[in-house]
Amino acid sequence: MALESTREIYWNIPSGSLPLMYLLSFVATGVMLWGFYRRLKVYQQGQPWVVWPDMGSRILRGLKLALTQKKVKKQKGIGQAHSLFFWGFGVLFIGTVLIFIQADILDPLFGVKFLTGGFYQFYSLSLDVAGLLALVMIVGMFVRRMFVPKMRAAIQPADLWLYLDLGLILATGYLIEGLRMAVTELVQNPELAQYSPVGHGLAQLLYPLGEESLRAWHLGIWWFHMVLVMAFLGMIPFTRLKHIVLTPANYLLFSPTPKGHLDTLDLEDEAAESFGLATPSDLRFKDIFDTDACTSCQRCQDRCPAYNTDKPLSPMKLIEDLGKVCTDMENGSLIDAVGKEALFACTTCSACMEICPAEIEHIPKIIGMRRNLALMEGEFAGEEVAKAMDAMEVNGNPLGYAPAKRADWADGLSFVPVEEADYLYFTGCYGSFDPRSQQVAKALVTLAEAAGVKLAILGPQEKCCGEPARKMGNEYLYQSLAAENIEMFKEKKVKKIVTSCPHCYQTLGKDYKDMGFDTEVVHYTELLAQLWKDFRFQLDKKAQDVTYHDSCYLGRYNGIFDAPRELLAATGAQLTEMSACKEESFCCGAGGGRILAEENLGTRINNKRASMAQETGADTVVSSCPFCLTMMEDGTKNLEGDSVKAMDLAELLVSCLPTQTPTEEK
Amino acid sequence: MKILVCIKQVADLESRFVVPDGATWFAETDLAFRINEYDEFAIEAAVQIKTALGEGEITVVSLGPARASDGLKKALAMGADQAVHLLDEQGPVKDSWQVAQGIADWAKPEGFDLVLTGMQSQDRGSGQVSIFLSELLELNSVSCAVGLDAEASLLKVERELEGGLRAMVEVSTPALVSCQLGLNTPRYPTLPNIMKAKKKPFETIEVGDLKPNGQDVQWMGAPTSAGAAELIEGDLASQVAKVVSVLKEKNLVG
Repeated sequence: MALESTREIYWNIPSGSLPLMYLLSFVATGVMLWGFYRRLKVYQQGQPWVVWPDMGSRILRGLKLALTQKKVKKQKGIGQAHSLFFWGFGVLFIGTVLIFIQADILDPLFGVKFLTGGFYQFYSLSLDVAGLLALVMIVGMFVRRMFVPKMRAAIQPADLWLYLDLGLILATGYLIEGLRMAVTELVQNPELAQYSPVGHGLAQLLYPLGEESLRAWHLGIWWFHMVLVMAFLGMIPFTRLKHIVLTPANYLLFSPTPKGHLDTLDLEDEAAESFGLATPSDLRFKDIFDTDACTSCQRCQDRCPAYNTDKPLSPMKLIEDLGKVCTDMENGSLIDAVGKEALFACTTCSACMEICPAEIEHIPKIIGMRRNLALMEGEFAGEEVAKAMDAMEVNGNPLGYAPAKRADWADGLSFVPVEEADYLYFTGCYGSFDPRSQQVAKALVTLAEAAGVKLAILGPQEKCCGEPARKMGNEYLYQSLAAENIEMFKEKKVKKIVTSCPHCYQTLGKDYKDMGFDTEVVHYTELLAQLWKDFRFQLDKKAQDVTYHDSCYLGRYNGIFDAPRELLAATGAQLTEMSACKEESFCCGAGGGRILAEENLGTRINNKRASMAQETGADTVVSSCPFCLTMMEDGTKNLEGDSVKAMDLAELLVSCLPTQTPTEEK
Repeated sequence: MKILVCIKQVADLESRFVVPDGATWFAETDLAFRINEYDEFAIEAAVQIKTALGEGEITVVSLGPARASDGLKKALAMGADQAVHLLDEQGPVKDSWQVAQGIADWAKPEGFDLVLTGMQSQDRGSGQVSIFLSELLELNSVSCAVGLDAEASLLKVERELEGGLRAMVEVSTPALVSCQLGLNTPRYPTLPNIMKAKKKPFETIEVGDLKPNGQDVQWMGAPTSAGAAELIEGDLASQVAKVVSVLKEKNLVG
């Protein structure tokens, strides 16, 4: 007769031991809960927590992100390894919960046992495999932590205990299984034993000890295993392990605003004593929670253009530094903890926020602290930035040109009045004044003409969108420029806007919404890609090797990756991607208002990016942002070896326009 | 210490200046205006002195048309305590003596201990108003300050001289000091100060008839070009050779 496929839960455990085990479990769980609870007062130093109305969908989203490991997996290789580890322990955890449900609830109350038969076989095999997976991963993690220099540098005192505890939990788990199987399964139910391959192997090894020794060892190791598990539970809030709870919890707190959204400060608020972020009491609940949710995985730092060019900014360290100030509970200075040089080094490229598996929001904090410096101290990244602010205020552009000359670039070009135009072309300061970017503005006008799109410009009535001021923390100047532009848009009854600058695009299209301006704003790459698909203009194919540099504000912020690539393909250009492209694109160095600032620390970001372009072997690095173009022009000039030309996509497209206008042919 | 800062609002130098036919001053249409750069040094110096002394009252004055009030507001945001706008739509075309007179008529009875001005204005650039003003107010005046320390009744002024030399001058108050580039870095107004500035005393006084211009501007415009610029073209080597030969030809190198 085939024996039933099941096992006795708490086999060999004297019933008198169980209450002690439960007591220990309660204590361990209590320590864990207290460990998290004690942090609550730290989070509550900040602004009151606004409870989100959509908690249901937030929970669903959080579960989905945690269970699919979507954010973690973005890091190829180690991300997949993490998700294997997660699922290894996940299955073991589910297994333990099932035991709890059967042994402590269903069996004693209703006499129901479900860990039997085929399900038990499946259960047994799953747990055995999961345990093995977890064991391999923990050894791998330990080796990585000890022998990869970068990881070793960030080692925390508790780390070794943590690896030891987890490793021993798994090892003792198998030993208990092997010891039990040697007594109850190996001989009696060899068929079932097949479903626990690791336990089976161990049972065979241990069998010669004899039942009495086996039972004695089993009980001893079972207790050791339990103590290790309790230690694990208790350690969670005090070690890296806290991310198991805090990362998914942070998914619930995410800000439901468009990417790159910054709070539009109420500057007229008479009650406000201070603006921007100065101390923990200025932070939001989530901002402080973020500092605990950080697992110091370094992914942000690995991608930070400032960090990678030897500037004193690491997004990870910034979060850690803020965490320290908050933990001190003395409402100390955030800016002193982080350092002004670190704050001003940020290009707001958002590579950190894009990759962060815990959805930590670095940039709003950086801008918040910059706001405090700008609005409360009148302090900027440098004197040159203060000069540019002054120029924006007086001349309506950071370059200091006369507002009356804003349309000089368009001499000889024809535009229609705003009311007759398909789009208002918001030229932006660089398109209007920077000689290199003026070429791009002219190219765009030529393309619009070829596609039969009627453009209007505001010329001297256009002002800087305010983006560089805003990103440098000067919310006051941003809002006054925005208000003036919006008033002009409304007066001219502007319906649709096209920009050539992704910074204007982000600001006009997203930021101005908070200021009461909600109109369709497109970037020229989107518009032209659509016009191309609609056969509105023709291009002659030209074979050339190019690489494409994704602008942060076009790509990461607004997800426009395909439109420029489709247009490149339309020109017949052979595109070779850089090692860092699309979501992982490496900033040119000019975002976050840094276009106005000298780059005095470390090496130059644009040089690094230009060499990445050079490595592709392409002749031309194409971009679609005036700031990127400016930086690539400089960066490519500093290259040694093969020369690379910097071009805007609009220029490349114009060079491929047929000499005869296609409209005549149609 | 009662401090007076005299400022002027001038057209941004990047502006496209247009002098209408027959006019003796440029047209103001399409221009962007700002505080004369040297006057910003004077405002900053006043704020620093007040902070250092721990007491004092800063009055900022500007003689000019309605737009000049923008400059006064910024000066208040930078830290001046009160502003006086000597409203004169003809301000920009008045000569230095008239402007100095306009300011002095109002300032004399106020009894300022220290008058700070820019060394010159960026648009007219005569550099005379401060000197005339000190004369009219019967004050000692020190021009071209690149360093300024104030004690209760003594000023130590570092002056910039020609040839890279410096001089240290001590003068007791009341006195007038005109400020030169390098004296300080004017602060960027903070938001709370911009807000506070809106509530600070701001007085507008119409300037009455002043003694007529002693000078009469006959003509204004761009000079007719005298020499011709030569554009050196060609490859790098020939460009360098050409530059060297030109320099030698003109005896500019040994």
